[in-house]
Amino acid sequence: MSHLSPAVVFLFGALLLPFLPRRARSLAFLLFPLLAFVSVSQFEEGMSATQRFLNFDLVPLRVDRLSLAFGYVFILIAFLGGVYSYHLKDTGQQVAALVYAGSSLGVLFAGDFFTLFVYWEIMAVASVYLIFARCTERSREAGFRYLLVHLFGGSALLAGILWQYVETGSILFDRSEGGAAAYLILLGFSINAAIPPLHAWLADSYPEGTVTGSVFLSAFTTKTAVYVLARGFAGWEILMIAGTVMAFYGVVFAFLENDIRRVLAYHIVSQVGYMVAGIGIGTDIAINGSTAHAFAHILYKGLLFMGAGAILYSTGKSKMSELGGLARPLPWVLLLYMVGALSISAFPLFSGFVSKSLVVHAAELNHNTVVVLLLNVASVGTFLSIGLKVPYFTWFGPERSVKTQPVPWNMYAAMILAGGINLAIGIYPEPLYRVMPFPVAYPPYTAAHLLETLQLLAFTGLAFWLVIDKIHAEPTVTLDFDWFYRRPAPVLFRLTVVSLDRLFTAAELITLNLAHRLAQACANPIEFASRFLSQSGDRGDRDIGGDKVLYDPNRYRPPVGFIILVVLSCFVFLLAWNLFLA
Amino acid sequence: MRRLLLAFIFGGFVIAAAADAWFFGAERHGEFWWSQVYGFFSLCGFIGCLAIIVFAKFVLGSRLQRKENYYHQRTSP
Repeated sequence: MSHLSPAVVFLFGALLLPFLPRRARSLAFLLFPLLAFVSVSQFEEGMSATQRFLNFDLVPLRVDRLSLAFGYVFILIAFLGGVYSYHLKDTGQQVAALVYAGSSLGVLFAGDFFTLFVYWEIMAVASVYLIFARCTERSREAGFRYLLVHLFGGSALLAGILWQYVETGSILFDRSEGGAAAYLILLGFSINAAIPPLHAWLADSYPEGTVTGSVFLSAFTTKTAVYVLARGFAGWEILMIAGTVMAFYGVVFAFLENDIRRVLAYHIVSQVGYMVAGIGIGTDIAINGSTAHAFAHILYKGLLFMGAGAILYSTGKSKMSELGGLARPLPWVLLLYMVGALSISAFPLFSGFVSKSLVVHAAELNHNTVVVLLLNVASVGTFLSIGLKVPYFTWFGPERSVKTQPVPWNMYAAMILAGGINLAIGIYPEPLYRVMPFPVAYPPYTAAHLLETLQLLAFTGLAFWLVIDKIHAEPTVTLDFDWFYRRPAPVLFRLTVVSLDRLFTAAELITLNLAHRLAQACANPIEFASRFLSQSGDRGDRDIGGDKVLYDPNRYRPPVGFIILVVLSCFVFLLAWNLFLA
Repeated sequence: MRRLLLAFIFGGFVIAAAADAWFFGAERHGEFWWSQVYGFFSLCGFIGCLAIIVFAKFVLGSRLQRKENYYHQRTSP
């Protein structure tokens, strides 16, 4: 089992699950992350497996500290997601979640681009099912947009891979040095990492996923992108700039949103920004920071999506303008959500505090003044939306009579587990630091860091309190870069589908009419010619679907006879010419 | 109520700056310019929060926010 990729464990589980008794499927789901964990825990750094396929030496398994760190947290969130969706009786979603988790792990441990690409595409297809499975008109539309964007990203990635292969003859996945192939690969990765302006798919689709599906969605796609960027593009300065912009972009747009899960989705963009910025800085401590932040982020964002999902499950609503006063019926959801909110806001004793500060510390060591300042201000926006606005309008704020149904025990259990791990990482970060790609010697709990963070967050809270009566949850949609493909879509549809359809219909009609006339002309050329000359064509003939009999042997006998007579006459004439005159 | 809150915020600034001064003293040296400003992060949190609200709500919101059915009112083919 030691050389078995954990991806295979999950994919095998996805194959097996539908054949198990219905009642046992939720429990069996939990077994596969555990088996994958056993498999990964036996991995040793530097281990790899190669497989000859056609003319290529594929490397379906390559293990190092970077892939191991991501692997552990992927398996952990797959398990937590399994607990959260334990009540689910939808085999399709369970299978899709297993395939999604498995293919994400496949990307992590892929040592060559071909293996990576195959898993990358499986990931896109499996994940979109978790959006479609909500079975609403909006989820269907968002799912198709998600799929199109990811297929475009996959195509760019494949083009880059092929270009690299033609140029270098290698398909091994290592650090890129530049060139057109690298930029195409970077484009493919950037779409999954949701780097603006390629990010709009995320805020468009994740809020439309199923209650349980969005928990998985929040974990895998963007974080596999962070992993591949860390492996392939560490130290590319453009990523440092892009990451800083992302961190800011996400918090500003999140503030404008009304749907809780859309707020959370924009904060994925923001938090992934920290990771991308760390990758752009590219030093050992920065890569540690990005990895640690991805680790913590998967856990606290999973918890936040679980909290938002619990509200959606209980009330059927996820828009702040329709919620309010839920502190009484759903107090435990509030408590557990706040653990996630304080973690993402980098509160001391919570996971974000020990991971986000690693990235900022790396920027400090790199003397990136603007990056340090902007990343600090972006964390103000995080606390503002996730830690203050969402809890205020959902659990407190204007009281609305919202009916609730009980939240299943397994949802609480998953949230408690995720919250506990977030707290454990925040209080005692050593185990987290131990699985990082490089040795970590960073003490997060210094007086300076604590003072800075507490000042930053306390005064964010005070500023929010000062202007609270000016802030409202409004039922609006905010235009983003998806406007550029959503708004012209109907026009494009009319141009490429409706117009073409009309053109084909017209061409078909003309062809059929022409064939009909031709049939008439051939059937009786004399009558047709006489009708044509006298311009008294039978108008009824235009109706090609009519009951008119096209062939009447008696009717066509004279003209056919006439043609045969002409042909025979010609034959007799030519024969006579040859016999007597030639 | 608002006056009380403003007084509280002002008092908070003073306390934050004093805490910085007490912890780091006159010897605080950092490589960034804000290392010399006592209570900088309290200002950063306060102004940053208001700036994000104003920028999001009044600069971006007025231009980019639309009714909820914006994409569904005329787009159905």
